[in-house]
Amino acid sequence: MRTIDDFTRPLEYLAPVDKHLGDIVRAWAEREVMPYRRQYDEDWEAHRLIEPAFRSLMGELGFQRMLFPEDVGGWGFGHSGYTATIACRAFEEIARADSGMAVAFGVLFWPLVMICNEPHVNRRLCEELAPMFCDTTAPCFAANAMTEPQGGADIENMEIVGGSTIETTAVLDGDEWVINGHKLWPTNSGGVADLFGVVCTTKAGSRDLDDFAFIFVPAKNPGCTQSGPYQKAGMAADKNGDIWFEDCRVPSWYRAHGPGLDAMYFKEVISFGNMGSTAFVVGALMNVYEILKDFCTEQTYRGKPLKENDDIAGVLADFARDIDICRILAYQCARMIDRPDLYGERWSDEIVAKGRGYKYFACDRAVEDLKKAMNIMGAHGSDRLWDVEKHWRDVKIVQLWMGGKQLCQMEVARWFYECETL
Amino acid sequence: MDYQELFPVPVEWLQDVDRSMARTVADWADAEVIAGRLEHKEDYDALLLPAMRKLLVDIGLQSMLWPEEMGGGGLGTPDAAMTLAAVIEQVGRADSGIAFVLANTFALQSAFAIEPYKNEALLEHMAPVVCGKDPVIASLILPSYSKDPDAAAFYGLPYQAAAKRDADGWLLSARDARPQCSGAGAYAFGVACAGESDEPMLVLVAPHLRGFSTGEPFKKTGLAASINADITMDGVRAADAQVLLQGTTRMRGMLAWYYTLCAAACSGALLATYDIIKEWGDTRVIKGKGQVFKENPLVASLLGEIGGKMAMGRLLTFNAARLLSAPNLYGPAGSPPVATAATAAFKLAARGAMEAMDNTMELMASAGYATEWNLERYWRDVKTLESCVLPETVAQTDLARHYFDLKEL
Repeated sequence: MRTIDDFTRPLEYLAPVDKHLGDIVRAWAEREVMPYRRQYDEDWEAHRLIEPAFRSLMGELGFQRMLFPEDVGGWGFGHSGYTATIACRAFEEIARADSGMAVAFGVLFWPLVMICNEPHVNRRLCEELAPMFCDTTAPCFAANAMTEPQGGADIENMEIVGGSTIETTAVLDGDEWVINGHKLWPTNSGGVADLFGVVCTTKAGSRDLDDFAFIFVPAKNPGCTQSGPYQKAGMAADKNGDIWFEDCRVPSWYRAHGPGLDAMYFKEVISFGNMGSTAFVVGALMNVYEILKDFCTEQTYRGKPLKENDDIAGVLADFARDIDICRILAYQCARMIDRPDLYGERWSDEIVAKGRGYKYFACDRAVEDLKKAMNIMGAHGSDRLWDVEKHWRDVKIVQLWMGGKQLCQMEVARWFYECETL
Repeated sequence: MDYQELFPVPVEWLQDVDRSMARTVADWADAEVIAGRLEHKEDYDALLLPAMRKLLVDIGLQSMLWPEEMGGGGLGTPDAAMTLAAVIEQVGRADSGIAFVLANTFALQSAFAIEPYKNEALLEHMAPVVCGKDPVIASLILPSYSKDPDAAAFYGLPYQAAAKRDADGWLLSARDARPQCSGAGAYAFGVACAGESDEPMLVLVAPHLRGFSTGEPFKKTGLAASINADITMDGVRAADAQVLLQGTTRMRGMLAWYYTLCAAACSGALLATYDIIKEWGDTRVIKGKGQVFKENPLVASLLGEIGGKMAMGRLLTFNAARLLSAPNLYGPAGSPPVATAATAAFKLAARGAMEAMDNTMELMASAGYATEWNLERYWRDVKTLESCVLPETVAQTDLARHYFDLKEL
């Protein structure tokens, strides 16, 4: 019998631990998430059901330690040469159960990528921050505090705005940074995160990327406050809210790397986000494949199972084709991040642009495919008992996050066509 | 907002009563729903039910097709198609779920309250309730997929209910049949099933009848105004007088009304979408380039797509309504050209609405899916409506059957 494991991925790219870790995450998802996920929409604020599942995966199974070096209590994946490929597998398995959970889990690593990944490991910060994640069985979240009220996703548009739209400021006062500003929407905000990676500027209005700063701020620091979560169309497991920094002080060495390097390595976060987004939608699509297969085998039309009708089979074929293609893309994207010796630095414009392309291609296909899946299922397509509508809502959000589609298009055009003014 | 100026429909088809009622309902939409939705979101008891009560009872929408001498609005002619399109569009602007519930209610009423199929006895029988002081909504139980490959079917799509001839009527059976809406709150259901010689028929069934049971309300993507639940009927007895229509033409005629009114609900959701993205495009600035959002060429290209789909959806809706309103020119609602045009209008309007809303969400990014901005509720509603009303492949076959003279499907 065909299963989701029959969808293609380049086997030669896979990490030696792929099967082991994949099996663990799949078993966790089927045990801890899938039986409860239909109640997650109502749990968006309290996370009474969602938090225990995170606790199990991140704290008890220990996945929140993945990136940290072994000698500070981590699993050492940051220097494994398979960081992204392993993450890709974990993301698709989690997203098969719940994309919101996959997003929250994935974003936990965004700030950590800045300091745990070779070749730019910041040993001092790793040692400082590792206990939060490695010496506990409680879930510990990190968040990338980036988007601001006045400019939205423009902050990500660094090629054009060069950090000039960032209004959150970091001023060096002796051996401390003093941070002031207001951030919106980060995944794992809304009261969840224990640690923020804050995108800020050391000189307001400057286009000089030396002034772009990425500074770690523990959420419990005085001067750092969070709102409750926003309510949204889906992804209840991913909380988003406001964060305010008011004269919030951290040691000067909490800056990830320093002038120029922060901006450069920050783009690696975007690359991981692109790969992650592609993997998230693949995971969701694979689960809908399982559901559709059951539905279209059981239900009849014109006196035979739905899947035996040529017109419906045509739509089902497109669905499976897109999963196969998008899954290959996700692993290709991960491979390109893992092998800078072959593809170039993972923070390069090329890798970022190509990743943006993969991300929006996969998301566009997934949104269209899930709409068609709901249409095939008729009155049951929008019924929460089948979970397809949940994946549709969640995938739409994956399509829109990280600055939305138009930002992706501009980065792709800029690189492939050498545009100079976009 | 002057929507006629923006997205014109042929004004010569609209009568004074249509404009007047649309204005009244537009005022209701702004005061009773839109003004309260930031506070109450989609709360059924706090927002939607009181709003429906005002609309259906105080404004009198639910009885508008009933004869005036029975306490109704006296609009029981095919002209009502234009009135209903204009009204349901405005309802959909406020809440597409309420519009969908109305589409069900009026599609059912079209089977016995509109000339030339007026059923005076039934109208009289129902008048005290429909023209009374409580909201009365109806729902349809239409053919859908089935686990039973041998179930009787309407063009290949199995009926959810089976009818067996009884001495002076019919015995209806169904197991967990899925109504289009409001399984847990409808006053009456129009149940599609196969009658004598497998002729399609629509039977009026009330939930208080013996053998009728309602399941637990289930959760769904959108349409919060419809508290839906599956229905089981164990030998529910229906008199011949409860058979609202018989025959393929009549069934298709009722469906043509249904599809047209659902298209109007989508059109209303698009008007709301327009209001939301217009404000966003006017006020948002892309700071890095000092540019008003809508003035960015890439944004403008998507706004153009969105506006075009809004205009087309509205035109299609009112054209379909026009076909229904003038049977002397176009033939009866159930004739293949009219029924097919209504199906096409609905599918294209719903698909266009989804595409326009998807694009709007893309432009608004996170604000698009935040409940605070209200767009996402229309997006969920229209998707629910699109997939519930008529499965895509069934619709495609319906269209091909007429346009290309299919013989076997």
